Amino acid sequence: MTRVRVVLGTFGFDQHEVGARLVASYLRDAGVEVVYVGRFNLPDRLLATALDEDAQVIAVSCHSWEYLAYAPELVDLIAASEAPELRLVIGGSVITPDDAARLREQGVAAVLGSGATRDEVVGAVLAAAGA
Amino acid sequence: MTEGPGFDAPDAIAGLDYARDLGDPGTYPFTRGQAPSRRGGRSWVHRELSGEGSPARSNEQLRHLLEHGAVGLDVIGDAPTVGLFDPDHPYARHSVGTQGVSICRLDDFAQLYDGIDLANVSISHSLPAAFTVAGLYLTARRRSIDPALLRGSVINAPFFMEDYGYATLLPFEMRLRMALDTIEFATREMPRFHPFVEDTYFISDGGPGPVDEMALGFVELREVVRSLIARGLHVDEFAPRFVILVNCRMEVFTEIAKIRATRRMYAQMMREEFGARDPRSWSATITVHTSGASMTAQQPVNNVARGAVQAFAMAAAGVKAMEISAFDEALRTPSPEAHMVGLRTQQIIELETDVQGSADPLGGSYYVERLTNQMEEQIYARIREFESAGPPAQLFESGYYRSIFTDAMERHGREIADGERPHVGVNCFSIPHEDDVLLREASESKIAPDHAHAEAIARWRGTRDQRGVAAALDRLSHEAAEDGSLMPAILDGLEADATIGEMAGAIRRGAGLPEDPLTGTSR
Repeated sequence: MTRVRVVLGTFGFDQHEVGARLVASYLRDAGVEVVYVGRFNLPDRLLATALDEDAQVIAVSCHSWEYLAYAPELVDLIAASEAPELRLVIGGSVITPDDAARLREQGVAAVLGSGATRDEVVGAVLAAAGA
Repeated sequence: MTEGPGFDAPDAIAGLDYARDLGDPGTYPFTRGQAPSRRGGRSWVHRELSGEGSPARSNEQLRHLLEHGAVGLDVIGDAPTVGLFDPDHPYARHSVGTQGVSICRLDDFAQLYDGIDLANVSISHSLPAAFTVAGLYLTARRRSIDPALLRGSVINAPFFMEDYGYATLLPFEMRLRMALDTIEFATREMPRFHPFVEDTYFISDGGPGPVDEMALGFVELREVVRSLIARGLHVDEFAPRFVILVNCRMEVFTEIAKIRATRRMYAQMMREEFGARDPRSWSATITVHTSGASMTAQQPVNNVARGAVQAFAMAAAGVKAMEISAFDEALRTPSPEAHMVGLRTQQIIELETDVQGSADPLGGSYYVERLTNQMEEQIYARIREFESAGPPAQLFESGYYRSIFTDAMERHGREIADGERPHVGVNCFSIPHEDDVLLREASESKIAPDHAHAEAIARWRGTRDQRGVAAALDRLSHEAAEDGSLMPAILDGLEADATIGEMAGAIRRGAGLPEDPLTGTSR
């Protein structure tokens, strides 16, 4: 089985990286290859990186409300790309259960809100990668 | 924490010398506080974090707070503003005004402060320091207010904010230079204003603990002091206006000890090491923002209790000003409901408790004095370690500080996720989501990005005197390539209606960088 590879970062001007770094460490501990792209990512750049890196999942950690607009934009970009099987996973304490339900409807593979455990985070990413 | 008999006996502080280590409040080494007493109705400055949407909308928020008893204001910029990007930047479209106020030009400052008595209301700013000092100065002049009367402060964080708060994408040397230029300018022109707030809050929240919070803060502060002295200033010219803005987590006795140790260390450094002779230079002005990372998205009402405990501790520690991270902190910048709870919490502590009965109610406690000594020892040890590791520019380059922060963030997150650090409602005593309803609606309400403001700025751009704007930007870029103060060119730039984003671009260009590192474009 090929190793799971994930592109991980934050959207736009969302500069809170604590969650993203924690998730990166969880995923690396679980044997996932993490391409950490940090801050300042618009959807097209995340997609381009995921295609270049041959990743199965794009994971975005959120601490600002920019995800409300960027997540569906990224889902649409993925669907129209050469790799429509790419999956998007979104996580962050600011995501409310109502937002989570809407994001899933919009095509986000998994949404992790506040209180998600390490196992839930790792499990959601692995499941999205089909591993 | 639970070693030993579970209490501190007198021998825990056996070597403590009252005159040398504590002193009366208001006297060297100021361990017991900056002011001699709390008598005469002098309380700490009550303020709450504000700023959302356009400058005009934020102005309404500020006026509302003043009407309800706030005696100071605390304004934070939105993410693009703090990063020196304008609201119509392509990366800013979904974040304009959502986490603070959008500010990019001189007229924005005029709108933000409209109707506010700038000579009497103290405004604390989490906004780009050089541009904010320039904007406040010019606004005062236009309103015929003597800038020498301006009060308040600005966070000025050349070291760590770039990687762990808001990136400006300016090189370290330029960030430090702009910080020093700002302090020099304000020291001369705005002598009541505090142009250097050493913000250890953001250094620590969600990452390094209290020891590294202060050690890293002191590393930055000490380098700023040395650099200003190297520019020919005497320490007594600027040190009296320095402020340290600290964090307060839930381990409140440790936090109180941290503040007392910091006051003692600051006094020693200023007098013994940097040669300050003015007692006002020896006494640290310490303000606090209570920990946002201690606030939970689960059961937001629990955060009211957390804020009250932290705020009471900070009142007992004798801070000069305070803002409480609000009950909705995990989800948003404060809602009007959260503002009111934060303000009322401070008023209850001030007026209904007797915490004001002593300038240092906990002084002499075996526990607190032992913790204070311990904090001092540990903070000094880390300062020595950091300062002997090499010059700051080199340590930023090599990733030395990056790894300190990264490790601390991961450790902090794991402690909560693994249940090692109890967080009520998160990793213990949690309840099903459907039962978690108290204050949830206020906490989950969102501020929409202010697209209209971004569009208005984009339209306004075309109406300016373009030649004047270009000339001002060229001058700023030229100055940035030389080594004089950037403040005159920044003042000219604001007056010529250049935007903060454009001016940051001109400064980057002068430093040999692309004007806009995000899009890779230049003018």
